[in-house]
Amino acid sequence: MKQKTLFEEGSLWPVIAALGIWAAHFLLSYWAAALWCAKAADGSGSLFWVRLAIAVLTLLALAAIAWLARHAVRRYGGRLTFEDDLTEDSAAERARFLGHATLLLCALSAVAVLFDAVPAVVFSTCR
Amino acid sequence: MDDGLSSFRLPRAPVAAAAAALAPAALLAGCSGPQSWADTAGVEAEAVARLLWIMVAAAVVIWLLVIGTMLFAARSGPSDPRGRGARGLVIWGGMVAPTVAVLALLVAGLILMRDLTGRTGELTVEATGEQWWWRIAHAAPAGDADAAPVPTPNELRLPVGRTVEMVLRADDVIHSFWVPSLGGKLDMIPGRVNRLHLTPTRTGRFRGACAEFCGEAHAQMALPVVVMQPEAYADWLAGQAAPAAEPADARTRRGRELFLATGCGACHAIRGTAAEGKLGPDLTHVGSRLTIGAGQLPMGRAEMARWIADAGAVKPGVRMPAFDMLPAEEIRLIADYLVSLE
Repeated sequence: MKQKTLFEEGSLWPVIAALGIWAAHFLLSYWAAALWCAKAADGSGSLFWVRLAIAVLTLLALAAIAWLARHAVRRYGGRLTFEDDLTEDSAAERARFLGHATLLLCALSAVAVLFDAVPAVVFSTCR
Repeated sequence: MDDGLSSFRLPRAPVAAAAAALAPAALLAGCSGPQSWADTAGVEAEAVARLLWIMVAAAVVIWLLVIGTMLFAARSGPSDPRGRGARGLVIWGGMVAPTVAVLALLVAGLILMRDLTGRTGELTVEATGEQWWWRIAHAAPAGDADAAPVPTPNELRLPVGRTVEMVLRADDVIHSFWVPSLGGKLDMIPGRVNRLHLTPTRTGRFRGACAEFCGEAHAQMALPVVVMQPEAYADWLAGQAAPAAEPADARTRRGRELFLATGCGACHAIRGTAAEGKLGPDLTHVGSRLTIGAGQLPMGRAEMARWIADAGAVKPGVRMPAFDMLPAEEIRLIADYLVSLE
């Protein structure tokens, strides 16, 4: 069976994409700060450029997650619902379920990305 | 006891009540003394304890709310999850509230961490974790910027009211520096320099410990800590910076000869003598310390002789070999000399 590509109808990729963005944001922010402080920082240990980089990374990650959420709503008919059981055995219901799961994971990942960025707000030097 | 089975009976009500009343008391007994995070003697320990108490209070409130809601739900019987308010409860109680609580905790923890590590101290003390002792060196007394740091192994002395920057390293494996009454803890990692601040608020004797399992004698890697008045601290540091005292009598003079002749100087240094070993603790002023073997024995002649004869019997795994092949009298002479080095 042929694998479905990223944004093909019925693809499972959007469900885990938001978590992937969160993971990438965490790793890149972590690496940026660690490498900067170990190799590049001057005597004052200023984190200015790292904080700027993490701010840009955070905006990019949030934009990507927002786009994914929009995709989940438009193409999959995802809704932030808690009351409805998605149990019908049909292609449309399966797509709605994927959209629903994607949307919830987008919300979780957006919060997690913001949490990743909090240390960059609090710390201004490598010390 | 009337029969052999009585110990299997449930305690009678007064006994159970007494036990219930005593249990918190027993637990609280652990909240004081020289090695307690709850019995604070430093600005940093107070900040950590304050955050913990706020967390405990918030956790109790949240727990009561959750259990209360659960009991309410159990009593009111099954109802339609689509009912009024259910959606709001899930969104606000199940998603927004935990997110805000965790965010608040994260921010409070990060700010605390920044304040504990990010400032510069009024004086610097280097501490290096070794298996299984503390290589400590104080910045030389003020006015002598070029002087080498003063080695004062296995004992940390700090002036009250001053912020000290602890520069933490490790030589062999990961250790962790923790003086619960004053602050910490922070790992000591080979190849890395970590910095921690301590600002003692009252004088006294405290106890630190290695807080990261580091091998056989990890549990015996204690650190006596003394917080002193700044003048007393300055006097003490000046004394520690000086070379070793000359033996005052024939016994200690003979002890020094034996110390040098039996090869102790291969590992230990006594400044002012030919002993310049760097492997083990500097013994220049060992007699002035409170303990032997990083908090294992009180300082004394008999204890010092016992340590020299077989350090491993006191502290299993210790790197120092036993010297019980020496005649007991020679061990006593060396011990007398070392204890005289104040």
